[in-house]
Amino acid sequence: MLELIKELCTLSGISGREDSVRDYIIDKIKDFAEYSVDPLGNLLVFKKGKKPAKNKVMLDAHMDEVGMIVTAVTSEGFLKFAKVGGINSKVILGRSVKVGKKAVNGVIGIKPIHLVDKDKEDTIPSADELYIDIGAADKEEALSVVSPGDAVWFNSDFVEFGNGFVKAKALDDRVGCAVLIEMIRSELEYDAWFSFSVQEEIGTRGAQTAAFNIAPDYAIVVETTTAADISGVKDENRVCICGKGGAVSFMDRSTIYNKALFDRAFEIAKENNIVCQPKTVVAGGNDAGAIHKSRGGVKVLTVSVPCRYLHSPTCVIKYSDAEESFKLIKAMAEEFASC
Amino acid sequence: MNNFAELSAMLEALCSAKGVSGAENEAAAVASQMLEKYMPVSVDALGSVTGRKEGRGAHILLDAHLDQIGLIVTAVDEIGFLKFAKCGGADRRVLAAAEVTVHGKEKLFGAVISTPPHLAKPEEASKALPFDEMAIDIGMTKEEAEKLVSPGARVTFNGGYLRLMGNRIRSPSVDDRAGVAAVLRCLEILEEKNVDCNLSVMFSSQEETGGSGAQTASFAAQPDEAIAVDVSFASAPGVSSEKYASLGKGTMIGFAPSLDYKMSKTLETIANRENIPYQPEVMGGKTGTNCDEIQVSGKGIKTALLSVPIRNMHTAVEVCDLEDIENTARLMAEYIAERSKENA
Repeated sequence: MLELIKELCTLSGISGREDSVRDYIIDKIKDFAEYSVDPLGNLLVFKKGKKPAKNKVMLDAHMDEVGMIVTAVTSEGFLKFAKVGGINSKVILGRSVKVGKKAVNGVIGIKPIHLVDKDKEDTIPSADELYIDIGAADKEEALSVVSPGDAVWFNSDFVEFGNGFVKAKALDDRVGCAVLIEMIRSELEYDAWFSFSVQEEIGTRGAQTAAFNIAPDYAIVVETTTAADISGVKDENRVCICGKGGAVSFMDRSTIYNKALFDRAFEIAKENNIVCQPKTVVAGGNDAGAIHKSRGGVKVLTVSVPCRYLHSPTCVIKYSDAEESFKLIKAMAEEFASC
Repeated sequence: MNNFAELSAMLEALCSAKGVSGAENEAAAVASQMLEKYMPVSVDALGSVTGRKEGRGAHILLDAHLDQIGLIVTAVDEIGFLKFAKCGGADRRVLAAAEVTVHGKEKLFGAVISTPPHLAKPEEASKALPFDEMAIDIGMTKEEAEKLVSPGARVTFNGGYLRLMGNRIRSPSVDDRAGVAAVLRCLEILEEKNVDCNLSVMFSSQEETGGSGAQTASFAAQPDEAIAVDVSFASAPGVSSEKYASLGKGTMIGFAPSLDYKMSKTLETIANRENIPYQPEVMGGKTGTNCDEIQVSGKGIKTALLSVPIRNMHTAVEVCDLEDIENTARLMAEYIAERSKENA
């Protein structure tokens, strides 16, 4: 699964531009399941199991990543942009990006610290001061390789480091995509339905129609969530911890989860010697927010791989958490299909 | 169009070798090897790479600093994250989630921590953390980390050498490997033209922490005059094109009370005569470069400053135009050729 994660993170796919991710996933699953693409671009997959499912279970992971979109080109040839998804300017200043179909190299510039007033040395420039420099001499030269509307994504490679850690852009949520691909390629006890969803980062647009189209009884959202197990953060604020398995949610900003399902996840984990942990801070939101309100209502569970520095070019996970999450998700899918 | 392939390859090799102030060894090795093509080379007590080539005319010292800004590890905390101080003028606004290399017993990947949004107070969202509240995540426990990293280890910012449009490139440590490249290219031009000249070269250590390397190496060289090559500010959004230079519009000739006015004017005259693009850079006192140390070294040295304009100084995405490096080298070579014909 590590190779899948690596390849998936290397692809570019900001919200609304998930095409290359979808093509990659189709290539990986086409020999193992039936699939279709809905009008918004969600990749919907049906995988036959050994037995028919008593309840229809949908597994969801989103294909899109946070990034930026070119809004205009200045007369000096700099690119103005809007953020796509929730990105703090702090984590993109002075970073390298790729722009548009030609994957043009660019950098997000910043006024040199030497020229900044003493009392502004810690102040992050406002979003409308940000720009991308592709080295163009002027507007005309810039427009010869990029256009307003072009996607911008982080230039960030895949690195394995430390004791089992991985750094890449877009781990949110290509890790979830990798878990689902791995499931589809494996033998399943029960029939299962999958959605590789679009546009999660701009407000779970894709999952809403995917859930309508699949019409499940149960859903499992496979995600990443903030791990704040970093220097200087107190235990109670850590949300979840790298190395302690998938984080199971009881509540976030978009969903109050079914408590029975939450409790069942920990029972099943214990029965199967799977490592998992609760997500201990009510924060964030994900596709579950759209799915649980679909049609007449859907019972949902979210399992997230803990991820440090989420929504930055430098997302960090511990790989063992992805493996433990995979085991838990597969077990829970069987449980829901048969209960 | 000349795309400066050879110059680009040289600059890439120089930028790829790391050397934070006081630990310039890796960069020194690469720069020494390049300088040895032209003259005998040694490394002095403070880590500066120096070379001497005797010949005709005034004894001119060429300087570019070897070190780059970075961070220095101060401690390993209880959960294995590395605490650090800045080593040179690092910009904390670009450090959240920055990717770094920790130069411990081996080179280790690290990420500077970034406070997750749910923990940041609204007023903190637009503020960079103080250096002492930041740390580097190397994915290890305290015990694992302590085996590989000790206090004093230097940290460099990641990001390879990339070409942008035209002749523009981006890399960490363009400040001042662009200057080192300009000096080496100048030596190449002098050799191509068979100029018999009297030169010292120093790729000085510790500029970013105060210029100790230049002070001592220029004392040892005892030249008649010196030209330092550094980088300076190029215009960009928020950086006025009226006050600062423009990328790709030529080398910057420094004018300042602390610089030798006659040398500055001679450089300007030669640039006009030879059609070498240049831009004046006027400062009201000292220059903030090695010139400030070279000028008052020993009995005093007449000093001039040439600068390569760059954007985003002291970040991992310093941008320069190769053509400006080439023009800096050409102007320096013409100046040296002219001075070699005169008596010192």
